[in-house]
Amino acid sequence: MRHPSEGVLRRLVDEPAGVTDDDRAHVASCPACLRALDTARADAELVGAALAAPRAGEPDADAAWARLTSATAPGAVPAFRPAAPAGRRRWTTAVRRPAVAALGAVVLVTGAGVAAANDWLPIFSTERVDPVEVTAGDLVQVPDLSAYGDLQVVQEPDPEVVADADAARERTGLDVPEVADLPDGVSGDPAYQVAGVVEAVFTFSADKAAQAAAAEGEVLPPPPAGLDGSQLRLQAGPGVAAMWSQPTGVPTLVVARVGAPTVQSSGVPFETVRDYLLSLPGLPDGLADQLRDLSADGGTLPLPVPAELVTSSTADVGGVDATVLTSRNGLFAGVVWVEDGVMTGVAGTLSAEELLSVARGLG
Amino acid sequence: MRTDLEQVFRTHYAGVVAVAARVLGSRDSAEDVAQEVFLSFGRSSVPADEAGGWLTVAATHTALNLLRSGRRRSAREELAGDGPTAAPDVADLVVTREERSSVRAALARLPHRQAAALVLRHSGLSYAEVAAALDLSPGSVGTTVRRAESVLLKELNRHASPE
Repeated sequence: MRHPSEGVLRRLVDEPAGVTDDDRAHVASCPACLRALDTARADAELVGAALAAPRAGEPDADAAWARLTSATAPGAVPAFRPAAPAGRRRWTTAVRRPAVAALGAVVLVTGAGVAAANDWLPIFSTERVDPVEVTAGDLVQVPDLSAYGDLQVVQEPDPEVVADADAARERTGLDVPEVADLPDGVSGDPAYQVAGVVEAVFTFSADKAAQAAAAEGEVLPPPPAGLDGSQLRLQAGPGVAAMWSQPTGVPTLVVARVGAPTVQSSGVPFETVRDYLLSLPGLPDGLADQLRDLSADGGTLPLPVPAELVTSSTADVGGVDATVLTSRNGLFAGVVWVEDGVMTGVAGTLSAEELLSVARGLG
Repeated sequence: MRTDLEQVFRTHYAGVVAVAARVLGSRDSAEDVAQEVFLSFGRSSVPADEAGGWLTVAATHTALNLLRSGRRRSAREELAGDGPTAAPDVADLVVTREERSSVRAALARLPHRQAAALVLRHSGLSYAEVAAALDLSPGSVGTTVRRAESVLLKELNRHASPE
């Protein structure tokens, strides 16, 4: 029998019950695996000791509670983020900004990232536990199908900041949505971001998929005829976003418009590739959601919405069904809809009602 | 602010500080992170019975961000008064101050998700909980944690695992 992977041995250290009977039986009778298990256990203990907090007794919960309540006293707290007093908590704003900026960028990236669906998941995951740093590299990415074949980005979006709406229109060819009435708390002129078309080609490889399955201890289901070597061409963009920020630089409202993502296939139909990938053992849930919500015609909204993180509903925007997303912690919301292959989104640290009002008033 | 905040705070404060201190190696910075995390919790609608997991994940991400931002308190400030740490009953596992510092530097360089998986596991989350929190497949958590441990052990310069 094959030896269990390092990951399985590592789990055996912590959660023997989480390891299959076969693996446990193998390790118990395999000197090499027993040695590797001992090493894994010793390594885990050493890292645990290195990460152990300095010995300093219990923290003073009373003092900390007093600090928290003074920071949240009425008048000290703006609508959606804590005050950032000077001194000890001076980094608060700086740390918080990336998460908010990431949400701000999401509407743009939803279209600008290949197979835009990908971007909602990490964004809302991060938002749930804000603040989390998300880099541009995290945002502009394709579904990670690399375990199942070759993924080649053939065109990069080259996002950039432009001076005004005219420049954005010139770069993207898109009409930049104009907001008739800014919601309360949003003021000033927006900054404009643009991104070009993103394109990537995925070539399915039965060999790679078999390796991925084997890594999960599974056998690859037989691929449908013609699938090996067939390609998907994933495309999205261009996109433009107008972003309003507070004087501190924290974005409050983003209005964006992008070319809806599309998928084309050569060889077998896209649905065949997708359904087969979905049948594979060990496919991460997030990736499965992204795939499930991709469509070949770009007409449906490719937004996998993790129900435990955000609530989703629909509303009418100018005669089109829009998806309304509200984070469960109430900090962020977004409204997104697709019309004639163009996706438009409004998102921000505002209520869904305020955002719907903006959406319906777009010029 | 939600009405159950004080109860959740008093139940979980020490634990949240411990999680953040695991990342930052500093009690003061960890308490800063805990303030931030409980403020976020106070504005959230996370059910109180899920608060423990939520706070652990939030503290991990927030502390890692702070670690990576380089904005945590200065090394001299944070290490003042901190003696070497030792796991109980394991004499070999005395970790020096320098080693703890270099382990944190390595932690800051790890991919965010890998670092988070490591910290969450060492903070007592189950493999299933780590997988759910980080959108990993449950089968890959062990591999991810093991990889992160190997990187950190190199920093300790006496790792037991074979190359």
